[in-house]
Parts: sequence; structure tokens; C-alpha cells
Amino acid sequence: MQKKFKRSFDELKHIVKMTESVFQKTGMQPGLRNIVDLATEELFVNMVTYNTESNEDILIEMVPHALGLEVRLTDYDVERFDPTCAASVDIDAPLDERTPGGLGLYLVMKMVDSIHYEYRNRQSKITFIVDRK
Amino acid sequence: MFEIVLDDDGIIAVEGRLDAAQAVKAQAFLDQVNGQCVLDLAKLEYISSAGLGVLLKTHKRLMGSGSGIKLVNVSHHIHDIFRYSGFDKLFEIVAAGT
Repeated sequence: MQKKFKRSFDELKHIVKMTESVFQKTGMQPGLRNIVDLATEELFVNMVTYNTESNEDILIEMVPHALGLEVRLTDYDVERFDPTCAASVDIDAPLDERTPGGLGLYLVMKMVDSIHYEYRNRQSKITFIVDRK
Repeated sequence: MFEIVLDDDGIIAVEGRLDAAQAVKAQAFLDQVNGQCVLDLAKLEYISSAGLGVLLKTHKRLMGSGSGIKLVNVSHHIHDIFRYSGFDKLFEIVAAGT
């Protein structure tokens, strides 16, 4: 299944419906839904927030994979930004030193089973896989 | 769907999905809170980093005046997110069913 989404947080509810439909059709364990939802949201929000020079919709594809579910997000007409190289977060830092920044991508790296970034012809594509456990 | 309300016992009930689209609503509500704050997360289905940011910002503000946020009825999945984020070291957390 694939769909394009406008560059707005309001699209998150439609992305959730897409994920729900894919899980129903593929028989993925419902317990993995939150991981797929979280990783997809964080990467989508990152594109919307930081790739502000583009007006193109963002393509999301969700396809069954031998190990589970593969999700691809493609952003068009943007500069290179590899989220897999984002700065780490010190989760042991005391409260007064903690900031929300970077936490989303940190959680993605922590929770998905594999992630890959490619940049070509001003297109950013992020692919992640969540395994059937 | 996302709702955040103050119940009759002075506990703030959070329900639904606290994502980037709902973080502004949650922050606006919590910005009005002063003193010790208990959030009942029994009906919270989902939280992303945007929601975590709301909790962190509010907790820091309240801790500055000697209080803070206590999170109760936290489901297994939501607790996992708190643990991965290191929030289990920053907040008082009571798991669901305890």
C-alpha cells in the first residue's frame, strides 16, 4: 500500500488509518502497531519540520517483508539529511539538562529492527523494517 | 482522538493518542497547572516524542517550584517508551494494575 500525504501534522490521523489497514491485511501482530506508528510519525514529522523548502507531498509505502513489515518514506526536492546519523541523546542526563530535541529519532533507532537512508536526485528515502517477533 | 481533562478528584486524565498533532492542545492544558500534578494514563493509547516533550517541559516547570508530575496507571507499552527515553529516571511512575 502507498499513499501521499500533505506536509502537515494533521495528516497523522490519516497515516494511522493507513497503518491500521496494512496491519489488518498482512496479519502483523497488533502489538507491533505502536512501533510502526511511532517510527512513521517521528520520521514524517522530521521531514515536515526540517525540509521546509519543499511543497511536495511525502510518499509513504508499507509493504510486507520476509521478516515483517517494511516502511518507506520519500521526501522530494529536499537537501540531504540522514536521520540515522542524528546526534545521540543522553537519556541518563539529569532533568535540568534534558531537552526534547533528538528524542524522536533516538526512539526510532532504538525500536525498529533495521533502518536505511538513501539520497538521490534531491529525493530523501528512509526505509525501516519492523520484524515479526 | 485525544482528550485531557481534570476529574473530580483533582487527577488529570489523559486519553487517546498524544502525537505531534495533539501536543499543542496538551501543552496548553498543562501550562495552566500548578503544584503537584497526577496524570492518569490508563486510557493513553500512544505517545510520541512530541508528547514526551510536553511532559518533560511541564515537569521541569513544576519541579522548579518544588512539585512535579506523577504518572499513574501506565500501560506496559507506554512504560517501554518512558524507559527507552530515560523518563523512568525523571518521573515517579506507577504501572497499571499496581
